[in-house]
Amino acid sequence: MATQKPERFDQVDWTEISRSRWFDLSINSIGMLAAALPLLIVALYDWQVLDERTPTLEPVGPAWDVGTVDYLFIFTLLLFAFYIVLPLFQNPRRTKYYWREFKRNRPAVVSLGWLAVVFVGGIFGPFFISAPEQSILTGYQPPVFLSVEQSYVSTCVGEVVNNQCQGTWQHPLGTTAGGKDVFSGIVHGMTISMQIGFITTTIVATIGITFGTVSAYAGGWADELMMRFVDIVLSFPTLLMFLLILYIYGAGLGMFIVVFAAFAWGGTARYVRSKSLSISEEEFIKANRISGASTYRVVRRHVVPNAASSIITQLTLLIPGFLLAEAQLAFLGLGDSTIPSWGQLISAGRSDLSFAPWIVLAPGIVLFLTILAFNFLGDALLDALNPEAEAENA
Amino acid sequence: MATPLLEVEDLKTTFSTDNGDLTAVDGIDFAVDEGETVCIVGESGSGKTVATESITRIVKEPPGRVEGTVRFKGRDLLSMSEEELRQIRGNGIAHIFQNPQEAMNHCYTVGWQIAEALQIHQDVPDKKARARAVDLLDRVGIANASTRFDDYPHEFSGGQKQRVMIAMALVSDPDLLIADEPTTALDVTVQAQILKLLDELQDEFDMGILFVTHDLGVVAQIADRIVVMYAGKVMERGGVLDIFEHPAHPYTQQLLNCVPEIGGNEGGIPGTLPNPHDPPDGCRFAPRCSYAEQTCRTGGQPEELDVSPGQRVSCIHYRDGRDPSLLRENAPGVESGSNGVSSADD
Amino acid sequence: MTDEPILSVRDLKKHYPIRKGIFNRQVGAAKAVDGIGFDIAPGETLGLVGESGCGKSTAASSVIRLEEPTAGEVVFNGNGRGGASRDSDGTHPNDVTEFSDAELKRFRRGAQMIFQDPASSFDPRMTVGSAVAEMLEVHGMSDRHRRRAIVEDLLERVGLSAEDYDRYPHEFSGGQKQRIALARALVLNPDLIIADEPVSALDVSIQAEILSLIDDLQTDFDLSLLFISHDMSVIRRICDRVAVMYLGEIVEVGPTDEVFADPQHPYTEALLSSIPTPNPRSTVGGIELAGTVPSPTNPPSGCRFHTRCHRVIQPDGVDVDQSDWRGILNFRDRVAAGQVDVESIRENIVVDDGPTSDDHVRAQLRTEFDIDERIGDPEIEGTLQDAIDRLLAGDDEAAAELLSDRFTTPCAETVPERTVHSPDHESSCLRHESEQATAPGAADD
Repeated sequence: MATQKPERFDQVDWTEISRSRWFDLSINSIGMLAAALPLLIVALYDWQVLDERTPTLEPVGPAWDVGTVDYLFIFTLLLFAFYIVLPLFQNPRRTKYYWREFKRNRPAVVSLGWLAVVFVGGIFGPFFISAPEQSILTGYQPPVFLSVEQSYVSTCVGEVVNNQCQGTWQHPLGTTAGGKDVFSGIVHGMTISMQIGFITTTIVATIGITFGTVSAYAGGWADELMMRFVDIVLSFPTLLMFLLILYIYGAGLGMFIVVFAAFAWGGTARYVRSKSLSISEEEFIKANRISGASTYRVVRRHVVPNAASSIITQLTLLIPGFLLAEAQLAFLGLGDSTIPSWGQLISAGRSDLSFAPWIVLAPGIVLFLTILAFNFLGDALLDALNPEAEAENA
Repeated sequence: MATPLLEVEDLKTTFSTDNGDLTAVDGIDFAVDEGETVCIVGESGSGKTVATESITRIVKEPPGRVEGTVRFKGRDLLSMSEEELRQIRGNGIAHIFQNPQEAMNHCYTVGWQIAEALQIHQDVPDKKARARAVDLLDRVGIANASTRFDDYPHEFSGGQKQRVMIAMALVSDPDLLIADEPTTALDVTVQAQILKLLDELQDEFDMGILFVTHDLGVVAQIADRIVVMYAGKVMERGGVLDIFEHPAHPYTQQLLNCVPEIGGNEGGIPGTLPNPHDPPDGCRFAPRCSYAEQTCRTGGQPEELDVSPGQRVSCIHYRDGRDPSLLRENAPGVESGSNGVSSADD
Repeated sequence: MTDEPILSVRDLKKHYPIRKGIFNRQVGAAKAVDGIGFDIAPGETLGLVGESGCGKSTAASSVIRLEEPTAGEVVFNGNGRGGASRDSDGTHPNDVTEFSDAELKRFRRGAQMIFQDPASSFDPRMTVGSAVAEMLEVHGMSDRHRRRAIVEDLLERVGLSAEDYDRYPHEFSGGQKQRIALARALVLNPDLIIADEPVSALDVSIQAEILSLIDDLQTDFDLSLLFISHDMSVIRRICDRVAVMYLGEIVEVGPTDEVFADPQHPYTEALLSSIPTPNPRSTVGGIELAGTVPSPTNPPSGCRFHTRCHRVIQPDGVDVDQSDWRGILNFRDRVAAGQVDVESIRENIVVDDGPTSDDHVRAQLRTEFDIDERIGDPEIEGTLQDAIDRLLAGDDEAAAELLSDRFTTPCAETVPERTVHSPDHESSCLRHESEQATAPGAADD
């Protein structure tokens, strides 16, 4: 290109260009497709070929049976990587600007750090720390630096001083009544929390954004109908629905995620709709419409990105609700007792609170901090991503 | 000359922002006499609105900070308590703004709002207040005032709302009316009505008017004296005829040049307003001025020099021992004595 | 080149339905644009001027099909579509309102638009370069480098630099954004650009810059322009011809110089006289337009301007002072609308001595409507007094009936036809029709 003079806009031969048309994919979509296809193939293989008891990865080595929730989780992680993280790198100037705005909020930076720990721990932890295992003999081990009266413990792993069983680094946060290691329980709980967070968010965002924009652009009776449906969704007693399903079919983590996400998108949809309506009044949308761009393109390239800041904030503030709901259900004994979630851990220790408080406190504090961090983060994102404030500060 | 109605000296308004202090108005002075109309002219960002809002301190403090002296009938407004200031705002100085709809309460009828404004300042019975409100509405040209008294603001058009705002400003019989771009949001036909109205009211109430606008056409119609502002500083001041017929400052000349009926300059003023966080040394206009030389770019804004009686300009080319004839020669301007407009027809 | 116009609009209408009730029944329509027509020749600039609410922006978005027009025909002969003739069924193959999706997309390359508000005309989350390049992308140019080269060249052409490609809208001033908007409108190499108040939000000094840029680009690329503005001095500066709109209709159209020097329609006259001239020694012309623009839902009959016209025609046999005539008609309309409330007038008169009498109310009514204390024509004066008496007696309906019976104007009854004053200069005012009738052939063209 360097050798020839740049082409002038009025010398473009449009008849030629408009004849040769082909579908133009962004690098993000190509990456996403390239990563998601193998995942889909493995999932299909797992579902159709392997029998239920064979762990998925047995042919390769590790005995990790990838479940439905895991597939979904990996898929949402890919979405996250290609459509949120990658664009941040593609657009360093903008990222720098957001970071500068975000940095002003100290608690939010700390929160982000904490969430990063939970995220990394949740994804890579299970590969290094094996799942907590039952071991009745080593139940009620105290956390390191703490001690517990020996009569509670059948076998003390550490030293016994003055009839007190001392904690060891082997179980840094102690063990439960069943001898499960609390620390590894918390690490595996991070995975569960991240799964809940990511999958629900993806489901809520997909349904909410689609519903909201379609409703805004359809208008008329379709809009009316869709919004009344949102009202129904919003007033639906989700907990009762979940309990019903629980009693009839029994419910695991997957069912929890699906049911709660399926009834949580109403607010997002309503929000996206009103945001889309106000954005579509802007002159740049008009300019885009007379550029000849299709409605889908205008929505995808302009309306959704401009609504994104508020959508992201809203979604960030939804996650704590799901985490709490899971913990509450687990505490009431209604959760999936086979998964090592924080709620299950708390629930396991609730009867031993008098002499073994760490079983409840350790995961409780982690849960509390995580929820707090999400709330701080949401608040800070609202300020940092707000386009109006952006224009004023510029 | 007797003491002017309003005297502003070394007015300086600073805003503290995330990126450091921003001086919107940087040490300006001007005066308004009774029954006189003074126009502050300048592009957006020149600080003209902030200057007027600093007078009665309706500019937000903080982030704003107002320094200097503002004397209204000899009393210093900037050293007054909030309570005293409120008295002045309602009773001596009235404000009208660009967007009348934002200045009205949409829950009450227009007449009620005027009557209430009246009763805040004067102890008059309801019936009297109502009569006076109708009278004022009629005075500002609301047809059928007595019936429209009971209408709500949304039932009025933009021009009518501005009339109502003027009526509200008049209730306290102000001595000074500060009008901040009152006609910019209106159609020309309505603008003409409002300007005519202001003119009549000025004669009737003998008000001083401080009028802020960027529209030189409006200025020519309404002003007695003009203050030309650029980037927070006064560039030139003088009588309306002086400014339009013999503009002295290069900025004033350029500004007039941009008016199609006057100027031959079709390209606007090259360059952009200086960054208010970091204004240039010397004359603020120097970076865009075609007559600028090295002296213009050092020190502070040049002192104001008399070029003719009542006309003062802040430009070094008018200093003693310098020859401003080049500036004079190329100056645009309405031809004096002619009744029409010196036309720039192709 | 043929003398075929690049854009030819005929009888264009855009009505917004007003719906009420649970079944969304249409109860009326706001006639924002009600049957306008104009031509734009290649390379020409047509100005569309009028007060806010007269429908000029709606006209623009209907022409470019940003909104679907209700009726009418918009023939676009640019884009190499020239030379087409009407089909046998009377439709035109170049009628934009009948375009299919593919044709419409092609039409987008031929006609583009610039908007008023530089602040909102760019996506805040997109660099200005990609905003301009997106136009190319939408139309199938998939080569990213080619797009960038073209846009960078164009940015330089509108007075910015190639480095500005990667900057965001908020980093630019209003004038610069308007330059970028011009680049975006130009990048598809259109034949026609519709500019909707492109300089209204800018300072005078910047206005001048943008206008001269538009001028240069127009010459360089042989553009035709439909230029919408409420600012007559801007129109005068840039337009070859001007069309004056009032309440959804074009009342006068003609070459700019001629319209400014010799306005034929009273509305144009009033509009021109209200421009403040930047000469302190001259005064504003002084035709004051009373009242406000009527609602487009229910526009006045006959000539739509008759409710505010200072030259409203007096019927045969009436000869009173023109301003009194205007006042009487205003009074008639207010009474008919039930908006004259004698009681509240009485209540609001403050009399220094004694109670308010009927005479006070009479005087007050005349002042409010600018009617002389005694009108020259005794017959008219009698009727007026009669009507006021009926009002005072509380019989509003009778007063209204009497007034509307006796005071009529031909302007309210007859829709004025187009009158041709000179080649290209036409207006719609009854006064000219009667003039032509008395002097047949005088204005033949």
